[in-house]
Amino acid sequence: MADLLQSLAHAASGMEAQSRRIRHVTENIANADTPGYRRKTVEFRADPDGAGVRLGALRLDPRPLPMIYDPAHPLADETGHHQGSNVDMVLEIADAREAQRSYEANLRMFDQARQMTASLLELLRR
Amino acid sequence: MFGKSSAVQTMARAFAAHAAARQATVARNISNADTPGFRAAEVAGFAETYEDAGTFALRTTRAGHVGAGRATVEAAVRARPGEAAPNGNTVSIEREMLAAAEARQQHDMALAITRSLGGVIRTSLGRRS
Repeated sequence: MADLLQSLAHAASGMEAQSRRIRHVTENIANADTPGYRRKTVEFRADPDGAGVRLGALRLDPRPLPMIYDPAHPLADETGHHQGSNVDMVLEIADAREAQRSYEANLRMFDQARQMTASLLELLRR
Repeated sequence: MFGKSSAVQTMARAFAAHAAARQATVARNISNADTPGFRAAEVAGFAETYEDAGTFALRTTRAGHVGAGRATVEAAVRARPGEAAPNGNTVSIEREMLAAAEARQQHDMALAITRSLGGVIRTSLGRRS
């Protein structure tokens, strides 16, 4: 029973981590055209006590920001360039897909552990 | 009186506990499916752990000895060999799904054995099962 409750906790930590990842992906996509925006990434770490997954600190992607030529832009410098964002749409979509797949796998594990607990308790009800 | 069936019951309990340990390991692997450098773990097979427990468990050398409780078998967790992704992670969701299905089936089987043994004992006591 303790193992089953533990696997519920593991699956829940996985879902929490993946949903946080999805949140950052949507923030990145929403800010794809924001000048000077750096994409947010979050690091996953295995919990040292073996309790599922933990999230590391939020980081900003250090890749250089692209310079966009648009003299009419209010932020444009004397050469007519302004900083764009370093969000790569293809990367974000791939990240979102991976997060969704992992979230679903965690959800299925949660559901299965819940069903196993229920069938264990069913034995007592007879 | 219930010597044989209680031995089976002890084994069924250990079997269910082993299935739960497998489920916990699979859940932990899946929660770390995207963690860089994470090594997937697996639980050693039931036959191995149950046999192993015999080495360390209390021995019954006389008929009068209290039956050695084997239900608290510590399932041995070991690293699962497998191809690592570029980030050093060895979890494969597909393999974990298979392991989860096996754990589920094993748990159902253990509970079915326990349930049917309960019926046998109740019948031998002359009650309706």
